[in-house]
Amino acid sequence: MKPGRIYMDNCITTKPAPEVLAAMKPFMEEQFWFPGSFVSTAEIINSAIDQYRFTIAQSIFAKPSELHFTSGGTLANNIAIKGLVTAHADKGSHIICSVVDYPDLLTNAAFFEQSGFDVTYLPANSEGFVDLDELKAAIRPDTILFMTTIVNHVVGTIQPMHEIRDILAAADHKIYFHADAGQAYGKMLLDVKDLAVDTMSISAHKIHGPQGIGALYVKSGTKLGQLIHGVRRIDDLQTGGLNIALIAGFHKAVELTFADLDATVAHLRELSNYLIERIEATIPEVELNGPRGAGRACHNVNITIGFIEGEAITMMLDMHGITVATGSACASQGLQANYILMAIGKNHMQSHGSMKFTLCKYNTKAEIDEVVGKLAEIAIELRKRSPLYQG
Amino acid sequence: MQYSDKVMEHFMHPHNVGKMENPDATATEGSPACGDQVTVYLKVDEESHTISDVSFLSYGCASNIATASMITDLAKGKTLEEAKKITWRDAMEALDGLPPVKVHCSVLAADTLLTAISNYEIAKGLKEVPDFTKETIVEELKKIIYPKVGEDIVSLKMVKYVGFNHGEILIDLNIPSFDQWRGNVADEIREHLEKYPDVKDIQINFPE
Repeated sequence: MKPGRIYMDNCITTKPAPEVLAAMKPFMEEQFWFPGSFVSTAEIINSAIDQYRFTIAQSIFAKPSELHFTSGGTLANNIAIKGLVTAHADKGSHIICSVVDYPDLLTNAAFFEQSGFDVTYLPANSEGFVDLDELKAAIRPDTILFMTTIVNHVVGTIQPMHEIRDILAAADHKIYFHADAGQAYGKMLLDVKDLAVDTMSISAHKIHGPQGIGALYVKSGTKLGQLIHGVRRIDDLQTGGLNIALIAGFHKAVELTFADLDATVAHLRELSNYLIERIEATIPEVELNGPRGAGRACHNVNITIGFIEGEAITMMLDMHGITVATGSACASQGLQANYILMAIGKNHMQSHGSMKFTLCKYNTKAEIDEVVGKLAEIAIELRKRSPLYQG
Repeated sequence: MQYSDKVMEHFMHPHNVGKMENPDATATEGSPACGDQVTVYLKVDEESHTISDVSFLSYGCASNIATASMITDLAKGKTLEEAKKITWRDAMEALDGLPPVKVHCSVLAADTLLTAISNYEIAKGLKEVPDFTKETIVEELKKIIYPKVGEDIVSLKMVKYVGFNHGEILIDLNIPSFDQWRGNVADEIREHLEKYPDVKDIQINFPE
């Protein structure tokens, strides 16, 4: 077992790869310049950005001109959703998303609801898949936008993107399609042409890149209302300064992740299957939340440990140098049970006892053995203290 | 705000934990739906009315376990009259404080101890089952913590009106609609009042 902390909360953020840090350093030391015209310093940055943009765009099968850098996934989601709705509000006022979407999407939906738009929140089944019959039924002549979260950030459900694409394509009019790929990017193949999305958000720090940089894919010719106004250095969607070091780091993370995406995914799949198998074999009365198999993202394991509460489990694991997450109300900022688990039909106790492990390429089977060993001890100890478990 | 060292110590190595065989009194407060539940067991010396032994079980977070550990420490060896005076503030201070969103855990621990003592007194004929009145409601509201600041809603003057008529409770709260804790406070109030058999309906009103 290597010394140091075991980190299994990679859906929140990942450790920057050493190669990423090395790629960023020159741009924070000598080549700290901004892009612009004619002068050599600006030209160097221009060509670096062009090169990096090309590789990052390629990772989702987009053209470089379709990729816009943002400060991260949340800004990308906001530019896309607010941009699409404001640009196309003359065609209708109905938006569709689902109850299991990422908060970026749900808070934007609520914002437009308050501004007089109609929003349909599609239900999801017990594994977190959006109800496609409900999607078909929800489409109206005034529907302008459908948005979805490709991989669920809590239970790892991969939405049926091709079926969604076909349903939207079968509508009588154009419905814009925005996808949040925060958890999907680098965990599965994403081809924007094949998915037929109009906009899609991605983020660097979920794939061992630096925090504070993401990108928005905008399909060529798609009209977006401008959200942020300011000095124009690249284009209207990304006004203001550019952090070339972060873009260089993002680029390096993409190179590392996509050099062999199949191998990256297979490795993560093997680790998460091993973690599920070990927990189920070692700890009685546990329950996997979300789907099994190919419908689940390769890095996500979400398991409820019966009769005990997740914040206590998380704190005990933390004392042993292990970082994981929980869906317990006691650990949430609003003291509410996790809304995703409640939306897929779990009860409060199942949510409070849920533990989320999200893995990355740096995790090992030895780490998983240690985590499961500690988790089993903690389950025994906390169950001894629990009034719900006096067997 | 992080947990204090004392909270972590009582969480990792709680005192007085475990089910008690043949207790003289017991009480369970909270509910799994609200995220925490505590059971307190008492052994009471009949002559001196002293708590000779006390233990607890907790379904809850680190602070829930730590506050139950502390409140049982504080109660052990005390007379019932002394133990009744132990407040959630005493438990919290003894733990070197709690993050504001966790103060309700110390209320739950203190409340469960108090109910266990009350159950003992009723069982032994030392007191009558108290009538449910408007004062009962106000006493319960004093146990509802506004999580943002860790103070109770009565001290914070968030309760504008309390009414009780034929089993129906009406409470007006002064918490604006943009306040993220509004739903949480309402849920807590319901949890505290629904357990009384005299309560048939609870209506909680907020300003628009």
